[in-house]
Amino acid sequence: MEANQNAGNSVPLLSVRGIYKSFGLNAVLKGIDLDVMPGEVLALIGGNGAGKSTLMKIIMGIYSHDKGHMSMNGGAVALNRPSDALARGIYMVPQEPLLFPNMNVEENITIGFDRGKAELHRELVDTMAEIGWNLDLSRKASSLSIAEQQLVEILRGILRHARLLILDEPTSALTFDEVKSLFRVVRDLREKGIGIIYITHRLAEVFDIATHVAIMRDGTITIQGPVAGFTREDLVKGLLPPDAEGSVQVRKAGEPSVDYAADPVLELDGFSGYGFSDVSLKVWPGEILGVAGVVGAGRTEMATTIFGMDKVLGGRVLLNGRDITGKRTRQVIAAGLNYVPEDRHLNGLFKICDVAANTTSASLFGGALGKVLLNRRAEYDITEKYVKNFRTKVTGHDQLTGSLSGGNQQKIVIGRSLATNPGIVILDEPTRGIDAAARGDVYSIIHQLREQGLSILLISSDMEELVELADRVVTMYQGRINAEFQKEDINQDNLTAAAFGIVEQEAKGA
Amino acid sequence: MNAVKKVLKAREMTALLFLAALFVVVGIINPAFLADSRNVANCFNDSVVYILIAVAMAFAIFIGEIDVSVGSNLGLVAAVVGTMLQDGKNWFLAFFIGILMGTVVGLINGWGVAVMKIPSLIFTLGTNGILRGLMYLQVGTKQVTDLPIAFKGASSYALFGLPLTVCFFCVLLAAAAIHGVLTRTKRGRYFIAVGDNAGGAELVGIPATRTKVLAYVICGMLCAVAGILFASRAGQVTSQSGNGYEMKAVAACVLGGISLSGGVGSVVGAGVGAVIMASISALLVFMGFSSNFDSAITGVILITIVVVDALVQRRAAVRNRHARLAARTNAPAGGKEAAEQ
Amino acid sequence: MSGTSSKLGVQNGLRRLWSGPNFRWNLFLLALLLVECGVFGAANGKFLSLNRVFMAAVGDLPIWCISIFVTFVMITGGIDIQSCAIVGFTSIVIGVGWQGFGMNIWAAAVLGVVVATLCGALSGFFVAYCGVQAMVVTLGGSFLYGGLALLVSTLSGTAAYNGISGFPDGFKALAKTTLFGVVPLPIVIFLLMLLCAYLLLHRSKYGRKVFLVGVNPQAAEYSGVNARAVVMSTYILSGLAAGITGVVMTSQLGIAKSDLGGNFTMMIITACVLGGTLSTGGKGSVIGTTLAAVAITLLRFGMPLCFGINKQYLDIPIGVLLVVVVVGRAVAGNPAVAAWLGRLRPKKKSRAGA
Repeated sequence: MEANQNAGNSVPLLSVRGIYKSFGLNAVLKGIDLDVMPGEVLALIGGNGAGKSTLMKIIMGIYSHDKGHMSMNGGAVALNRPSDALARGIYMVPQEPLLFPNMNVEENITIGFDRGKAELHRELVDTMAEIGWNLDLSRKASSLSIAEQQLVEILRGILRHARLLILDEPTSALTFDEVKSLFRVVRDLREKGIGIIYITHRLAEVFDIATHVAIMRDGTITIQGPVAGFTREDLVKGLLPPDAEGSVQVRKAGEPSVDYAADPVLELDGFSGYGFSDVSLKVWPGEILGVAGVVGAGRTEMATTIFGMDKVLGGRVLLNGRDITGKRTRQVIAAGLNYVPEDRHLNGLFKICDVAANTTSASLFGGALGKVLLNRRAEYDITEKYVKNFRTKVTGHDQLTGSLSGGNQQKIVIGRSLATNPGIVILDEPTRGIDAAARGDVYSIIHQLREQGLSILLISSDMEELVELADRVVTMYQGRINAEFQKEDINQDNLTAAAFGIVEQEAKGA
Repeated sequence: MNAVKKVLKAREMTALLFLAALFVVVGIINPAFLADSRNVANCFNDSVVYILIAVAMAFAIFIGEIDVSVGSNLGLVAAVVGTMLQDGKNWFLAFFIGILMGTVVGLINGWGVAVMKIPSLIFTLGTNGILRGLMYLQVGTKQVTDLPIAFKGASSYALFGLPLTVCFFCVLLAAAAIHGVLTRTKRGRYFIAVGDNAGGAELVGIPATRTKVLAYVICGMLCAVAGILFASRAGQVTSQSGNGYEMKAVAACVLGGISLSGGVGSVVGAGVGAVIMASISALLVFMGFSSNFDSAITGVILITIVVVDALVQRRAAVRNRHARLAARTNAPAGGKEAAEQ
Repeated sequence: MSGTSSKLGVQNGLRRLWSGPNFRWNLFLLALLLVECGVFGAANGKFLSLNRVFMAAVGDLPIWCISIFVTFVMITGGIDIQSCAIVGFTSIVIGVGWQGFGMNIWAAAVLGVVVATLCGALSGFFVAYCGVQAMVVTLGGSFLYGGLALLVSTLSGTAAYNGISGFPDGFKALAKTTLFGVVPLPIVIFLLMLLCAYLLLHRSKYGRKVFLVGVNPQAAEYSGVNARAVVMSTYILSGLAAGITGVVMTSQLGIAKSDLGGNFTMMIITACVLGGTLSTGGKGSVIGTTLAAVAITLLRFGMPLCFGINKQYLDIPIGVLLVVVVVGRAVAGNPAVAAWLGRLRPKKKSRAGA
């Protein structure tokens, strides 16, 4: 890596101190201190929920921070709106491109500029030639592939002569060649003295392109410094919680062990769909199978496709031996499989409906709630059963779920999925965004279910959780299963490494 | 050459060709239609009010909203301006008052939708009722039937014996000018950007709320101008004036290629659609259909176009999503390869 | 069941009634009605004549009957502005079927209702399965069905504005009969429709699905509910309601005209919104809608009678009512205002569990 030409300049391009941010009761950022020097490429790594996106959105003026302050080039700045950030030369290339679908490429890039159209056009063409990217400027943005859309977003930032460029997972959809030319661009910008924050899940890229690295975990920065001072193992360690050194799951006495001689409850055979490919796994009765991976690995897509939400591209799904591949959601539920969605706000909760309506929403077909008229008694009984068992804190069955805490909301969604008496439940990030006490409750619920013989497919990005709960774990990376771990090998090191795509030969699956 | 090709492929071109085809078909069925150039010219002359109101509605639709009060706005301004002219007041004063009224209505609508975040359909439905009631009040107390001859003739004034009126040319130029501002200036493009992707617009620094309010204000102003023209062309203002015009405006926009979800279309398209809407009646008469067919045929055209539009958009959206997901599994682990070097 | 548990049941039932999402708003509407009666009654004693009120109600029947089912549509996040056109279409089908094709009048009435339901189904299909915006589809529908009504009536040889008349007495009696000598049959029919609507929306599994789809269609799909079918069904119901209204109005006026549906669209939507239906979906009540419809009718009846206001100007107070209610709700829904209001209410004690 070339020496930083601006090494003599010690005033940070961007400096944030003591940044705190909470959404309601949920504290996302707990005191962030960060400096970005001109000509520096700072790689920012962290697991899901670490707070990277939130921090970037604060810098970009989309969110405002609760505490702390920011300064650029030594002078304090207030970034309350995106236009403030843009005026100061900050540009963020979002992870999911936010282009205008009905405008063409050129319009998308040049919108919002004061300069003449011809002048912009010339500069754009020159820039593209310099980088070596060939994009047809007249194509409509909605027709671009995701990779091309990301290129357009990056071009927007370059053309705006940003002093600080934030790239949020820019290579997630690029081909190998496109990645190489992106790196060339980044090096180019670096030499011009532009500071770059580069968010990525790919540890290898850190050593390729970054000059400095910072690791975020649970709202704080655990490791910071020049890349040259770290090895890959150091980085992986920085991603884990401090007391996770070589923690190995010890099975509690008296816990039922899984009977692997019986027939599997759920079997996926070469299962392929949009976002995942050739997935084969089995889940046995009373087993908790963990599915680890980072965002975009394809775990949720796999689950929703099993659940009948999306088209199946290949392979089979067998539930208790019955083929349920491609069946509609209602039929899948009736067959004995239910799913607790990853995003409970978007897909799980009816916020302006009450607890009873939410708990019984999946039980409306079949006879459980009556034939035509809604059997209020049955509704009450079902709701009460789960409120009691899960110790859900509500003022009554008529409380609107939108006013409940995250943990109680999650309990209700889990209760709904159990109300249909499934043989296996897929839990997708069940403890995301809920506090520690509720998390403990959810864990004991999961143990309860296992004792009753229910199987659980546990999708989680929380390695601790998987270590504590799972009997076996498979990890998914870029849509495929890349490792499987038996009980004795389940520990945070292994899981984290595999989730980030680093698979040691010995750990490769059975 | 590229520019010409781009123009030919535009959705507005389809609408224009449809209009031309209509004329041709009618001409074939009834040669008397094309024999006198005034028949075709009248289609355009009679459409000036529709064009203005369609352009007004277009502003509301571009930002992803709607304004169903345009008809009553038009009617009320027509009534007030007509009354003032009838009483012999200064023309410019009357016009000024009228446009001011339209602007105020636009401000109120913009406030309700963009600032208070009330769904635009409901809020403008409310203002529609109020305006219509006010209009009845105005016309009830003072009938508008005796407009100055000069005013009534102004919109029919033609130069050099051309069949097309000066009024039509003015409206055409105005629409062209608006189109130019919307497509070529930085601020002009904000409207369609906000409707296309409001979140993305904020990210590149476009002030979404302010843009929406401005859109409604412009809509209100154009309705006022349409109201003045209406009074001139119709020669009188009754309590039914302007009734149902909001629906015709929506239909005109949809015909002209404007998508109701916002972010797509141009005022040129709205204009062409307006001419089609205005001409359907007359054309059907020439074809031998009684005016009874108007409504039904308008309904069929409207439904067909929106359904086709919606299906095309939906297919594209699904395809994009699938491409996005498929890219994740097909992307080779670029980082890994680089690391292994 | 022991005595204590049934007492608890009553307590629970009462508590549920009070804290129900619609109860307080319905009470407000009821108060509004009483105020109207008070004001109009004091201004002109003739207002309080039950007969006259019933007459006004029968004249405004489209608002009452159709709005309770448009409530279903709006709960799913859609809207229906084609009902009045369908009313006219049904009327013409009856007229033409009876006079032009010599059908039995009752058979023609059934045919009319069937046609109305199909119209609703067509629009519902476009909204639910093609993803077209409800406003536009029903706008096109209002053109289409109104136009078809006009066409059919002219093709059958009658001038549009004359309409077909001379129906058999048995049919016309439908609107003239009164129950207990006081309540006109159309009102009874409305009450039956109201009962059905109430049972469907607030007491049946189907109604629960309608609400769920309106609150969060994705979550409904994840719960195994067929959201698209539910959405389409609401348009079928409103088409059916329009058809029945068409039959009753044709009988009432003794004439089959293509514009029988009149200009009630805005009032139907106002009744729904005023009745507590959220235009964004997920909330609504047929009781609330009915109370709002009654309030609107009383307004339309009382203002000309008691204050000599010309019928044409009635759009103003109704428009004002709509705007005030909607803005008021938006202001009250503002988180800052809601927090302030919440502080006024005593804290509820937490119930079960930890």
